[in-house]
Formats: sequence, structure tokens, C-alpha cells
Amino acid sequence: MSRDTTFNDIGRAQALDDAGVEFVMDEDAFRAFYERTARGLWAYLARVTGDRQLADDLLQETFYRFLRAAATHESETHRRNSLYRIATNLARDARRRSLTRIPSSSAGDDIERVPSGDHAGAAERKADFTRAMSHLNPRERAMLWLAYAEGASHREIADVLGLRPASLKPLLFRARRKLAELLGRAPEGSKS
Amino acid sequence: MKPVECEFEAEVLAAALQSRWPGRVDDELRAHVAGCAICSDVIAIARAVDDAREEMRASASVPDSSRVWWLAQLRARREAVKAAGRPITAAQVIAFACAVGLLGACFGATSTWFQSALGRITSSVVRFEINAFLPSATALLAEHSALVIAMTALLFLVPAAVYLAILKD
Repeated sequence: MSRDTTFNDIGRAQALDDAGVEFVMDEDAFRAFYERTARGLWAYLARVTGDRQLADDLLQETFYRFLRAAATHESETHRRNSLYRIATNLARDARRRSLTRIPSSSAGDDIERVPSGDHAGAAERKADFTRAMSHLNPRERAMLWLAYAEGASHREIADVLGLRPASLKPLLFRARRKLAELLGRAPEGSKS
Repeated sequence: MKPVECEFEAEVLAAALQSRWPGRVDDELRAHVAGCAICSDVIAIARAVDDAREEMRASASVPDSSRVWWLAQLRARREAVKAAGRPITAAQVIAFACAVGLLGACFGATSTWFQSALGRITSSVVRFEINAFLPSATALLAEHSALVIAMTALLFLVPAAVYLAILKD
């Protein structure tokens, strides 16, 4: 059945033609950047949110927002920090939305279901680590993961998490101490 | 006040992240770590995180980059179309509201019964005679009940139709 063309249709068609989608990088550059960062970013999101499914969703959303952001990046590090900052904000928003549905103590339970071919000792260490991480708050998890899994500097971590560099050191120290205690290593006061 | 950082922390962390700890670092650094609570924590955490990171990266099943790019393109186009359609919808709503207003004005200007009813209502309001106003209004409603029902229905249906149109867009 034919239908008359309306003002809306004309507008939409025009918009489709004009929708020269502006991304911060071209496809080749994006694909190379994605290959370099996607797995690390997914691991970060999964660890911070404690939910692999959510990490899948947030990964795609992060890259989309990164592409749509009209920002220029002077270096690869700057670009990477920008990506992690977007991911951190999305994870924070997702946590706020689900705060009433998911008890915080359950964060990380999903991560423990990671299939593993490791021997029992390694699997147990992994489970211990996951359990310990789940007792930290998301910011502490993010801080520790960025510092020790991504090797980010204090300035970079502060930038990603939206903190002042000066306040990061004591926060990182407390988070590290807390995790070390949870892991049962280096009990408080045993060393100078 | 307890120190929150150690001058060897960066060196210790680098050794842990580069898998040089404990075999490929000098004795001095090992001795320092043995006596420093901060550096001991750094080593413990870095090794635990490193194990977890390797496993998580290996088990991560991220979508293909070309798929992510294609979906992003698609979504960006859809959003651009939606954004372009918004002013058109707004213009249509305004035009519709103007037309309804104009129609109402024409109706008010040409309808004698409406004008007389309005006059009666106005005089009732001015005189504040509730006893005179109520029978007058009741008589008016009873006389033109079909029209009143139609106008009331229109009053609810038009905003609902506009709302649905915007929602659809």
C-alpha cells in the first residue's frame, strides 16, 4: 500500500543523508585501538562491577560513547584514560541504578564462575582474591585494578576516577591495606 | 602519622608487574620489602591482581571490533535521525495548537448561544449569585449535553493524541 510522503519523512530522509556520523577516529584506527584495549577494559569492568554480563553491555556502551565524544586526544595514554573514565562513569551509573536490586555483598559472585583449567591451588587463590575484592567498594576495586593490573600512575588513576591526585595516595594506601588484610597477608603492625 | 607511601614503591611495583620479583631484583630491594609494610602489601596485591588479570583477559569474550564499529555507526545514525525529527514534531504540535486556538476563537466569535451563555455566566460571576449561576449553568449543560460531551472528550483526546505522536517519534 502506498503512502503519501509527509513532512516528517522528508525530514528523516534528509537527516539520514546528512547523518555523516562524526566519530573521533576512523574505522581502521578504531579497530586497532579496540584490539589493544577491549580485553583489558572488559576485565576492568567485570572486576569493578562484579558482573560479567554487565561488563559485556558496558564495554559496548563505553566504546560507543568514546567514539561519539567530540574530544581530541594528544596521546595513546590520554585516549586510554578517556576510555577508562567513560567506563568508570558508566559502571558507577549502573551500580546506582541497581543498588536497590542487588545487595552489595553479592558483587563479585559472578566473577567466581570464570571457567578455569588451573589446578586446585590456583583456583582457590583466584576464589580468595575474588572474595576479598568483593568486600571492597567499587572505587577501591577500580583504584587497585588500575594501579596493579593496568600499571596506571597515580595521576592517571586520579584522572580516571575523578579524584584529586593528592587525595589518591591515602585512598590507595587504605584500599591496598584492606585487600592485603582480606587476603590474609602482611598483618597490620607486623612490620615497621 | 603513619606513612602512606614508600620511596621504593614504584620500583617494587615495576618489578612485580614485569615478573622480575623475586628472582631478578637485587638483594637490597628484597631486604627492603621484607621490612616494609607498604612494599609487602604492594607485592602481595600486585601478584594477586596479576594472576586474576591474566585469567580474566584470557576468559574475556569481547565482540569483534568490526561488529562494535558497525553497531556504533548504526546507533549514531539512528540518534541523528531522531534528533533531526524532534524540531519537526515540535513544529507540528505548535501548528496544531494554533489551529485549535483559531478554531475556538472562530467558534466563540460566531456562536450566539455561546456568547449569550458566556454573558449569563459572566453576569452571574460578577453578581456572585451562586443561586442564579447554578441553575443557569445546569440549564445550559442540559440543553447542549451532546456538545458538552463532545468538547470534554476532545479536551482529553487531543492532548492524548499529541502525547502518543511525540512518543512514537
